[in-house]
Amino acid sequence: MMDSTIDATFRTFAAERRYSPATIERWARLAATDASALLGLVEELRPSENQLRDLWTWMEEIAARDRRTLADVLAAAPIMAARRAASGRNDRLRLLKGALRRERFPQLSAAEDQLATLIRALELPRHVRLITPEYLEGDTLRIEITANSAATLRAAAAALLAAAATPACAQLFAVLAGAE
Amino acid sequence: MPETNAAPSAVHTRWRPESIWIEHGEEESDLARRVRTRLPEVAVEITGDLRAAEPSSFAGGKRRLVIQRYRGAFVQHCPAGTTGMVCCNYLVTNFASNCPFDCSYCFLQDYLKNNPAVKAFTNASDGLAEIDALLRAHPQRTFRIGTGELADSLALDHLTDLSSELVPFFAQRTNVLLELKTKSDCIDNLLRLDPRDRVVVSWSLNAAVIATHDEPGTATLEQRIAAAARVQAAGYRVAFHFDPLIAHDGWEDGYRDIIEQAFRHLDTRRVAWVSLGSLRMTAGLKAAIKARPQHAAILDSELVPGPDGKERVWRGVRVKMYRQMLRWLRDVDAEMPLYICMEPAGVWEKVFGEAPPDRVVAQRLVAGP
Repeated sequence: MMDSTIDATFRTFAAERRYSPATIERWARLAATDASALLGLVEELRPSENQLRDLWTWMEEIAARDRRTLADVLAAAPIMAARRAASGRNDRLRLLKGALRRERFPQLSAAEDQLATLIRALELPRHVRLITPEYLEGDTLRIEITANSAATLRAAAAALLAAAATPACAQLFAVLAGAE
Repeated sequence: MPETNAAPSAVHTRWRPESIWIEHGEEESDLARRVRTRLPEVAVEITGDLRAAEPSSFAGGKRRLVIQRYRGAFVQHCPAGTTGMVCCNYLVTNFASNCPFDCSYCFLQDYLKNNPAVKAFTNASDGLAEIDALLRAHPQRTFRIGTGELADSLALDHLTDLSSELVPFFAQRTNVLLELKTKSDCIDNLLRLDPRDRVVVSWSLNAAVIATHDEPGTATLEQRIAAAARVQAAGYRVAFHFDPLIAHDGWEDGYRDIIEQAFRHLDTRRVAWVSLGSLRMTAGLKAAIKARPQHAAILDSELVPGPDGKERVWRGVRVKMYRQMLRWLRDVDAEMPLYICMEPAGVWEKVFGEAPPDRVVAQRLVAGP
């Protein structure tokens, strides 16, 4: 049974942040330890309702998959490292979201890391970005060039041409294509 | 030549509703009379308000049979056809709605959440007239039509005898294939009929651990496979749908085993098609699965949103599974027609090395032996 102080504290916070009744109902269904852990998180990071909803869904799915409690998930080392990072609130929210995403999607995250390593190996200049599909749901790269002069544009084109000839580039597309 | 006389497993228990509701005016229909004769002990309610016949829960719908007229268009394009996906141009026709089985991943939990009662329609003849008109209007085209999209094609056949009406109708027409898709072994009527190669009976199959935990109420895999062998021996072509493929620990062993079992007693030259499909969920379906009383392990895999708004296991895992399934199926028979459901051209290219136009996919599937 939820501690009444914890419940009241969360409801007060939710009212300040204008959380919807659906979010409060979802909160009310939590076990006491999970409610306490979640309250700790919202007090630390003061997420908007949308931010909280996304984090909460992943926490629940991780907990269900691993047969853990929500409190256990929030206390795990990678999650705590994100929560305790020496950064501002928004940065810590971003780090937390990233840490939860890795927990929720370990194979996908490993593939994304591999692609990021291959993209770095192309040694492209800062004004040329290669963007992989969201959730790798696709096999195309999007190329973004920021140019403020013809010379910059020529430099970008030359860098891309050179990168396209490297083994890392071939491997990049092979990974995107799901080649074994 | 494979064996065709495999000893059948014990027959799966036939579904019995706890109550029957009949639309006022349909009491003397052939269907209503037949069902009441076969279920004399089940309480019957006659109603002029079909909304009153709907139970308050999806689970409650599995216990109630509503017998009514159908008032919509019987023939529709398969709802799985979506812009951006390779499509097989399948048509669906609904002589029933909802299903007595309770598969955890079933999209009907969301699609029919507001009208969950199992329904059988009294005016199947109207549907057949609609189909006949379509076939006459396009004599140059061969259609594939299935009755197993919003219902299990055979799960109610012991009550309705619907197949006894459908098979002769389709057997007389040359530009159509009827697909009866099921997780039952309710084939008794089929064995008495001559499909004249116009009817394909198909079964959805899965890894044993998925069938056990996530397909309650269905015939066992062994019962489904035994039924397929009997139906094929009786002159029908058969088909299989490995859908949804679920990424789980041990999936390779599970799917390899079921493929071996499925084809062990079949003539693969008389397998019309095999489809593959990955678990895919709308937000509504995901919520329905999460709300089930027992944790559904199918939600544990890395499900990510796709361009059509549905969640699937991320593409790297899907392609890996499809490719492996393709290898095993090609080892069984390299000529069996195969296709993937609800995937974009990019996935087809990774798996098959090509992404043919929809009409080509459709043509290959109706090409016949």
